[in-house]
Amino acid sequence: MNYIVLVKQVPDIRNIPKEAWDWEKGTLKRGLLDNVLNELDKQALAFALKMREKKQGRIIALTMGPPFAEEVLRYALSIGADDAVLLTDRKLGGADTAATAYPLGQAVRKIEKEIFGGDRDYLIVSGMQSVDGDTAQVPPQLAEELGIAHIAYAVAFAFEGGQLQISRITRRGSEKVAPAGFPCLVTVTEWTRPSYPSFSRTRWAHSHRLYQWSAADINADQSRIGLAGSRTIVVKIFSPREAGQRNCVFERDLKKLAGMIKEAYLNRARAVEEEEKPKYRLPKGKQPDYEGEVWVYAEQEGGELSPASFELLGKASQLAAVLGERVGTVLVGRGVNGLSRELIARGADRVYIAEHELLENFLPVPYGRVISEMVAKHRPQMMLFSATPLGRELAPRVAYGSGSGLTADCTGLEIADFKRLDREYTAILVQTRPALGGNIMASIITQNSKVQMSTARPGVMRALEPDPARQGEVIKYKPAITEADLAARIVYTEHLPPASDIKDAKVIICGGRGLKSREGFDQYILPLADRMGKFLGQEAMVGASRLAVEIGCIGRGHQVGQTGQTVKPRLYVAVGVSGAVQHVTGMQGSDIVVAINKDPNARIFQVADFGVVGNLEEVVPELIKALDSQGGSSE
Amino acid sequence: MSELGHIDVLFVGAGPASLAGAIRLKQLLEAKGRQESVVVIEKADKVGQHSLSGAVFQAEVLDELLPDWKQSDDKFVAKMLASRVERDELVFLPNRRAAIKIPYFMVPPSMRHEGNYIISLSEMVKWLANLAGGLGVEIYTGFAAKELVIKDGVVTGVKLGDKGLNKEGGQQANYQPGETVAARVTVLGEGSLGLLAEDLVGRFGLARGRNQQVYSLGVKEVIRLPDQNSFGPNRVLHTLGFPNRADVFGGGTLYSLESNMVAIALIMALDWRYCDLNPQRELQLFKSHPFISHLLEGGEVVGYGAKTLPEGGYFSLPQLVSDGAIIIGDAAGFTSSKKLKGLHYALESGRLAAAAIFDAIEGGSFSKEDLKGYEARLAESFVIKDLRAAKNHRQVFNYGLYLGAPLSFIQQWLPRLATEPDYKGMRRVRLGRCYQGGLDRLTDLSFSGTEHREDEPSHISFIDPAECEPCEAGYGCHPCESFCPGEVYRAEDHKIMLSPSNCLHCQTCRVKCPLQNISWQLPEGGDGPKYKMM
Repeated sequence: MNYIVLVKQVPDIRNIPKEAWDWEKGTLKRGLLDNVLNELDKQALAFALKMREKKQGRIIALTMGPPFAEEVLRYALSIGADDAVLLTDRKLGGADTAATAYPLGQAVRKIEKEIFGGDRDYLIVSGMQSVDGDTAQVPPQLAEELGIAHIAYAVAFAFEGGQLQISRITRRGSEKVAPAGFPCLVTVTEWTRPSYPSFSRTRWAHSHRLYQWSAADINADQSRIGLAGSRTIVVKIFSPREAGQRNCVFERDLKKLAGMIKEAYLNRARAVEEEEKPKYRLPKGKQPDYEGEVWVYAEQEGGELSPASFELLGKASQLAAVLGERVGTVLVGRGVNGLSRELIARGADRVYIAEHELLENFLPVPYGRVISEMVAKHRPQMMLFSATPLGRELAPRVAYGSGSGLTADCTGLEIADFKRLDREYTAILVQTRPALGGNIMASIITQNSKVQMSTARPGVMRALEPDPARQGEVIKYKPAITEADLAARIVYTEHLPPASDIKDAKVIICGGRGLKSREGFDQYILPLADRMGKFLGQEAMVGASRLAVEIGCIGRGHQVGQTGQTVKPRLYVAVGVSGAVQHVTGMQGSDIVVAINKDPNARIFQVADFGVVGNLEEVVPELIKALDSQGGSSE
Repeated sequence: MSELGHIDVLFVGAGPASLAGAIRLKQLLEAKGRQESVVVIEKADKVGQHSLSGAVFQAEVLDELLPDWKQSDDKFVAKMLASRVERDELVFLPNRRAAIKIPYFMVPPSMRHEGNYIISLSEMVKWLANLAGGLGVEIYTGFAAKELVIKDGVVTGVKLGDKGLNKEGGQQANYQPGETVAARVTVLGEGSLGLLAEDLVGRFGLARGRNQQVYSLGVKEVIRLPDQNSFGPNRVLHTLGFPNRADVFGGGTLYSLESNMVAIALIMALDWRYCDLNPQRELQLFKSHPFISHLLEGGEVVGYGAKTLPEGGYFSLPQLVSDGAIIIGDAAGFTSSKKLKGLHYALESGRLAAAAIFDAIEGGSFSKEDLKGYEARLAESFVIKDLRAAKNHRQVFNYGLYLGAPLSFIQQWLPRLATEPDYKGMRRVRLGRCYQGGLDRLTDLSFSGTEHREDEPSHISFIDPAECEPCEAGYGCHPCESFCPGEVYRAEDHKIMLSPSNCLHCQTCRVKCPLQNISWQLPEGGDGPKYKMM
């Protein structure tokens, strides 16, 4: 079996110098950044190398980028790829994911023909997403372009009786999926330590000839590449919410402090909800650019609807109201009819149900096809998916298949009029999302598309309270599906308890070197986390500064900071943390920061909203008492 | 097409000396239609990331190496040409308030910079690397040369460091053992405190009869000033005095860079006696002097770094060749403390080494005798001539600033003055600084971009950890906590906690530890600072 590994050169987002931002133009001066190979692509290369140990074949690394992107191909060669293709052409520049998937598809076809001699027994491996765009859209869209199956979030593989089985992560645990045929595409998430190149192989890679192809070499249709071929455009970039000026309120009365923390916490929760009151009105005498219903994909697994879908319905209701349109929701599965009640109660005017026994479990190819058919038939003006793992691998295929632009992981969706370069847009969806690892916010609009599609970040939009009296229509759709259409087979499913990730925590109690040891951590941080969680009615997770991890207080998975995780909880309590800039980088996006430190000049107080100067050995137990005495959970 | 593994000339370190040497060598080889392979290995992740200097550069040396460099349309060259020194001042700061400008006629010629260009070494090195690559030099980054490979007294190459070890030294899944890189001649251009060069010198007694090498530490920030600023372009400022006490040899520098940026540095000889001297803090103190702070008004730090420079000069130069090996650049010690320059000597030494290596290639043998042409060429060149003129310069300042300064005018006629190893300078004397302003060390460190894989084995260790406690008792503090310009050493409950990932690779620690109890090894290739315009 042969392998094609997709690799991408990206800016080093961990080291963005201040002068690289051009806020007036709304761009990033990429020339001022170091370029590195996307971390997950290293994982993809390692995956292919490991597979090759079991099934011999050639590994071809493929990248689309400017000429100096050849650097990443050299790395790929130096760790074991046999050949590399650099797809480079000015005409390909400025492309969104769709205008990237298409030329990559052409390149893959050319590799199949000229390098593999027409042999279709190959696997395309790619990292799950890149850190600059972080949409995760290109791999599934490439699969859609090639008309092949994809398997996302792979972490392992096995050959069982000669058949390839990929282990992948799902929302509820893990699955083993076997592709029905080849070629097939696999996206890889973190599973191993990336390879180091050897010196001798690096020398070989340095002088090895690369294939270099232009847009003409791959017979690219000009209208589908570059800016012209893009179906979404970034119209603005801006800084995320100012992490800046906080004025620390010092409070030694810990009972009072507990009250202040709770109040701030609840206020913050309300503020998030209030941010979304839409004020748009269609200007007189103008026609909206799009017509049709506002659709939502309702995600269900095992007969249970995902709460993220209710959030989407809430948002869709808002958007639809402004547009004067109906809310439609698409439900796919087997025996899911009963769920339409709840969807209507949560804001759907129409529920489009596609049922088939072969659709019982989610597989991207059949689900994608069925939804695309429904979109083509009913022509909504926009469609929203949750940016859940499932949504993020399904939406790209639907969007690509229906010739629509797709914006990933939106935190803001609103209807607006827009003027850009002499073109006027009326009543279009303006999609706002974080990019470059959360370092910037981007505003994006759809163009050259039939439908405006987005995936929306869960936990940001607000669901409507269920109204059981609400009326709605159910429209049944009978898809024609055969076994072959599935393109893959789920061999095995395992449900695991969800692993809590500090990244998603709403409340974090973080310990620094002030804790001095594991015993200190266990004695002060863990109980504080437990009690704060009970106090606020929200599970609190434990974090640690790098120094605390290094002295053995807790595992590296809890490390917060430049070389650990970046977190954005609603409440961050820093205990015995000095507040060095390397740590602050990882938590400055927190809504509310409370700091406890014995040094009144500690830097942490500069980024805290509430502060207590004192020995943590005294303050923490006192605070715990205060939390306990004020009792119980929030509303 | 070279067979893998067959390298003719291996340069260790992609600094100015090695790159000049590699470029010159390829020019000579090409002129004779020869195809010998020239390889440069560099421990940083990318070329330039471990290069740091002032720098006020004497560019004439480029005229020999690259005759039409001025016509190049490379951005770096354009920047350099636009940065000719136009204002040049020497200022004496007798205390924390006063400033006395030394009139030009009183400035010694060695401290006059007309005709020089202000450059960033990390940028120059990137430019040289591009040129070298264009000539067929192979440059590989992320590879740390850990040991010399010696067979029957002949250097046959280097052994690279391992990658993928865990903190306990065990092998991770992606373990990559360090390979042996064989070469017919190995050129050591590791820079100041190069470990392989030290090993070579020690093993073969190349420093017999020479002075101990001594070093200075430069701590540097790059600051962005507002468009309207008091410093102005094309300007160099050197200071003597504050904050350095009279018994700390060194001075301050402030140079205009492009786009309203300035490079400010404080240089201090590493034999300082104060056990609590914190170089990064001294730099903040320097910036606080009203003469300086006025010039830096509205400025914002955008870069930070630290590096040592060898200052022993002429009498500290070891023999520079051995069977199969040559030492060039700062690793040899070609810096003039009188001119505060070493860059053009490094480039020239590389160029001259290349000529000698070329002769050896044609002769087919790389013994010490075959390579001695390098030393002969150096003796004839401005490198040795300049160093001879400064041969006791550093040493006279062992008598302090006020005696040293006048003596520095006659030092070259004095008989050889000895040097003492820097670590012997430490005394139980404190500076007792209270100044808290400026940036704290960790924040400055964040501007160096330094990073190390956090689960790799620590590249820094105490030879005998039990020695640290008596050190604290002896000095009343842990000097290492202060003298590291990074933030590696933290005293916690009388023990020293190491944070090796905060290392800047300057190696001040192993020079300065009064008990010589610190072992500094090369970390994994690719780790370390990520200087952009240092």
